[in-house]
Amino acid sequence: MAITFEHVGYTYQAGTPMATPALSDISFTVPDHGYLAIIGHTGSGKSTLIQQINALLKPTTGKITVDGFTITPQTTNADLKPLRRHVGMVFQFPESQLFEETIQRDIAFGPQNFGVSEAEANQRALEMLRTVGLDESFAKRSPFELSGGQMRRVAIAGVLAMQPKVLILDEPTAGLDPQGRLEMMTLFNRLHQEQGLTIILVTHQMEDVATYADEVAVMQAGKLLTCATPQEVFSDPAWVQSSDIAVPRAAKFAQRLGERGVKWDQLPLTADQLADQLVRQWPGTGAKHD
Amino acid sequence: MENIIDVQHLSYRYQDTDGRPALDDISFTVRAGEWLALVGHNGSGKSTLARAVDGLLPFSEGTVVVGGIQLTPETVWEVREKIGMIFQNPDNQFVGATVEDDVAFGLENRQISRAEMVPRVKAALDEVGMQAFAQREPGALSGGQKQRVALAGIVAIAPDILILDEATSMLDPQGRRDMLALVQRLREEKHLTVISITHDIDEAASADRILVIDDGKLVEEAKPAEIFAQGERLVHLGLDVPFTAKLKQALQDRGITVPTGYQTTTEMEEWLWQSLSNT
Repeated sequence: MAITFEHVGYTYQAGTPMATPALSDISFTVPDHGYLAIIGHTGSGKSTLIQQINALLKPTTGKITVDGFTITPQTTNADLKPLRRHVGMVFQFPESQLFEETIQRDIAFGPQNFGVSEAEANQRALEMLRTVGLDESFAKRSPFELSGGQMRRVAIAGVLAMQPKVLILDEPTAGLDPQGRLEMMTLFNRLHQEQGLTIILVTHQMEDVATYADEVAVMQAGKLLTCATPQEVFSDPAWVQSSDIAVPRAAKFAQRLGERGVKWDQLPLTADQLADQLVRQWPGTGAKHD
Repeated sequence: MENIIDVQHLSYRYQDTDGRPALDDISFTVRAGEWLALVGHNGSGKSTLARAVDGLLPFSEGTVVVGGIQLTPETVWEVREKIGMIFQNPDNQFVGATVEDDVAFGLENRQISRAEMVPRVKAALDEVGMQAFAQREPGALSGGQKQRVALAGIVAIAPDILILDEATSMLDPQGRRDMLALVQRLREEKHLTVISITHDIDEAASADRILVIDDGKLVEEAKPAEIFAQGERLVHLGLDVPFTAKLKQALQDRGITVPTGYQTTTEMEEWLWQSLSNT
């Protein structure tokens, strides 16, 4: 599912004395099967931006198109159900939204809300449990006796059970340990690769941006500074500095070596990319290309 | 230096029926003024251990001595006077309607007079750089600001020991660095002993010593550099792999001989530069 923003603006409590502009003149496109990362400081508008995509917040100005479905300031809630079925949203700390007595019923709740029969929803719930790496023995247990990481998987299974085509993830790994973070990011990447889900990831983890995203949108004070490939965004040190964004550790390290005269074909963004380029220059490997 | 915390043979089960104890025969000491990091994967028991030290869990086996006082049901309030705790999610620990009310809460609990309270709240907010936000609602602050307010609440009651329970894990990288720098400064100025429970490699690197908890047991105790030298195994200990270790692994995978042990980024940069120049 492709997503297009055209001159989107959003003001909280518009038309009141409390009006606070949160987004202004945002335009970008995520292609079908794309993987977009959104970065920016706390309060830069990232969460407001993603809530426009399934119209939890509707734009004050401009237009959003999600696979032919259009959201404008005039769109009414009655029009939104088909859109919301296709745009799955995983909020921060989604485990806090679990509520059912059993894990299976919690996962099946979403699809049933959208008219799927109980039998099919229960079947889907079992499939989604496996997808998120939990076996069927969890189905009848209470979601509240799980560890934090397991609860989060159940909450994500509940979103996946609606079979969305777009998955929006708001800092999905916050609070998980490194092993849990890696497993979670691997899961999303698998859904992206194998099922062609379009992924929108809000994150502070620049390593994840470098490893997984096709493009990265940089937000600052409600404006979109740029939307380009991680390579383009991170490779311009002056721009990175002036925009006050963090760069992946590998890129920062490579820049330091660069200042001492090491040449890069293009700035490495991950440890693997850095090692690839170092090996080519390594004395005695006979692979120098001059 | 004297030991401000002395834990001996501490065991704890959440329920009598639990097969495995959440804490299993743990003994360690903390010197006054030391920064100790507790690491371990989610569910390893490290938060349980911190709660036991603060008297938040009624453990049945073992002893905990804090500042010379043995923790018992009778002394628990005295022990808690000595300890300030900050949790992962600051929203779960706010009680006041405004930032200054919230900072004052701990003082009110201690029956401090208003005349003394007002300057102490102001000084505490100054200390963490949040004076300008005194009248604001805590919920409207950013994550980093919230944790600074939580720190101010602790500065106001001036405990000897600060326990950070994944207190930086919800902050963005800049917020995390600011918070760690602030804790480091307060530690020096107030002679605080710091115990930080963390998965973050930079936070663990701030510590003088690291304890690794796994399955409720204390499995390792060493200086950060010794722990970090374990490379990819660190993920199983609940820590990030330091960037230098990732890079060394990537180079090794490509047939390059790399130095053993742990290198800081500066040491790694130096080694690479030497190796590349060695033509």
